[in-house]
Amino acid sequence: MAIRTQPVANPAGVIAVGTTYVQPRRPSRALRREGQLAYALLTPTLLVVLFLVAYPFGAAIYLSVQDKMVGAPGRWVGLANYMELFRDDVFLRTAWNSVVYTVVAVALKFVLGLTMALVLDQERRFNNFFRTLLFVPWAVPVVIVALNWRWIFDDLSGFLNNFLITTHLSSNIISWLSDPGLAMGCVIAVVVWAGTPFYSMTFLAGLQAIPRELYEAAEIDGASIVQQFVHITVPRLRTIFLTTVMLSTIWTATNLQFVLVLTRGGPSSRTEIFPHLAYTTALGARRLGMGAAVSLVFFPLLAVLIFFLTRRMLRQADE
Amino acid sequence: MRTVSSTRRVMRWIGNGLLVVLLVWTLVPFYWMVATSLKKDKEIYGFEATLVPRQPTLANYTRLFATTPFVKYVRNSTIIAVSTTVLSLVFGCLGAYALARLRFPGRRLIARGLVFTYLVPPALLFIPLFAVMSFLRLVDTHQALILAYLSFSVPFCTWLLMGYFRSVPLELEEAALVDGCTRLGSLVRIILPMSLPALAVVAFFSFTQSWNEFLYANVFVNSVEVRTITTGLTLFVVEDVFFWGPMMGASFLSALPPLLLYLIFQRWVVKGLTLGAVKG
Repeated sequence: MAIRTQPVANPAGVIAVGTTYVQPRRPSRALRREGQLAYALLTPTLLVVLFLVAYPFGAAIYLSVQDKMVGAPGRWVGLANYMELFRDDVFLRTAWNSVVYTVVAVALKFVLGLTMALVLDQERRFNNFFRTLLFVPWAVPVVIVALNWRWIFDDLSGFLNNFLITTHLSSNIISWLSDPGLAMGCVIAVVVWAGTPFYSMTFLAGLQAIPRELYEAAEIDGASIVQQFVHITVPRLRTIFLTTVMLSTIWTATNLQFVLVLTRGGPSSRTEIFPHLAYTTALGARRLGMGAAVSLVFFPLLAVLIFFLTRRMLRQADE
Repeated sequence: MRTVSSTRRVMRWIGNGLLVVLLVWTLVPFYWMVATSLKKDKEIYGFEATLVPRQPTLANYTRLFATTPFVKYVRNSTIIAVSTTVLSLVFGCLGAYALARLRFPGRRLIARGLVFTYLVPPALLFIPLFAVMSFLRLVDTHQALILAYLSFSVPFCTWLLMGYFRSVPLELEEAALVDGCTRLGSLVRIILPMSLPALAVVAFFSFTQSWNEFLYANVFVNSVEVRTITTGLTLFVVEDVFFWGPMMGASFLSALPPLLLYLIFQRWVVKGLTLGAVKG
């Protein structure tokens, strides 16, 4: 990005992309008018951001230090909500579950998404058609995905048990979602099914931007497929990898629809994760203050991700 | 040279094998959804359950339209998603133009704030927003959901459109401005016509996100009259008993609008994702 010390000669006052202006000491009248127009145009957007995001965010912090219940005024309790959380076994189990759930789901989506992208990057007839099919889960509403899978996992009549018994792969019924050892795995499988296309889409876009000549040159020099992957593909995709993983981590960690529809956190809190615990605390037990505390506990971790992502996305927009 | 072409062939076969596995993994759940919706109850439950419908029937669909508020849910979802989309487009265009083309103090800060806002997850905001909606007496209204959806839709639209507007050549606009066109005039006459595909993509994202939204819809709305399709679907469960036939029918039908839009826009979806979220 070029930093120019003089404003670009530009009678219309149009800002050029990729240039940084050094503001004149005293803004000219034209410039002031431009500023007023800009803020007038941005008013609706700013109102939305202030009242529907910034204010609620502040309110969440304020709620979390009160013992507010639904429909009743709250009383200041300081950090009591947070103290109570850290003494609570369910909360500690939830913290562990959330980490396992997020890390495993993101890792699997990454591996599967990259595989899908590499497969689709090969030359083949009808490739566009296959790509369309493989990306379809991305377009289906998450609740529908979760409901559909709940039915697939159904004990007595679901597809999985039905299929396993018809093909004699298993002789007894498996309780996929109510078995303490299986439930989390099942939830993660559904999250991966729904989330993989986002990875493959961005990875495939990255793969297709790599010039073919690089691979041809490497091949002539005798580089193996693995070497080509490690020395050409991976470095070229590094930024996409990072951005995709960060975005997906935020969305995966905070999505409660899968757990809500599939297991409601059960059996005995085995699949309880932060957003769902906040939901049941605030609306099931009607403890709004406590619910806000639960949802805020995991925010510092997310904030780090959001901070880096924001910087990255702004930098990319400037390029 | 022979070894190279043989590794190529091996890679191609591995790729084709993986493709088949991935297709099965992706498509079986859809098959099960559609197959279930076409079965009689006898084939859905218990020991006579089948993998393939023996006597396909549309009975579940007629039941859906005749005895459930499905149509009402679809109507509510449409009203809310369309209103959100229109408002976000208008707000987004105005804001994006200012950010892309005008000089003013705080420009970078606002751009940063927008991205940040877009990334703050609803799971964090739904509790205080519920308090806000109760305070404004908006619980159980369409407006509550429209407002709530604007909170993610407007930042996203503004951000995406800003990227597109910047790519419209400056010279065109300068010429218009020199000829005495106002700023708003040049936005309407020059930038917008050149960004029609972008507007379509942004509208698509905004509509699908609103149509698919579940958390806010579940928290801010209780009555059947206002319920959207995503939360309405979960009501097919009565006392832990699921009516899977009509439910899978309803699931299939309500997944259709976003699916069809995806099929129409898919060429631009990837571009949109890479511009708005993952440009790089």
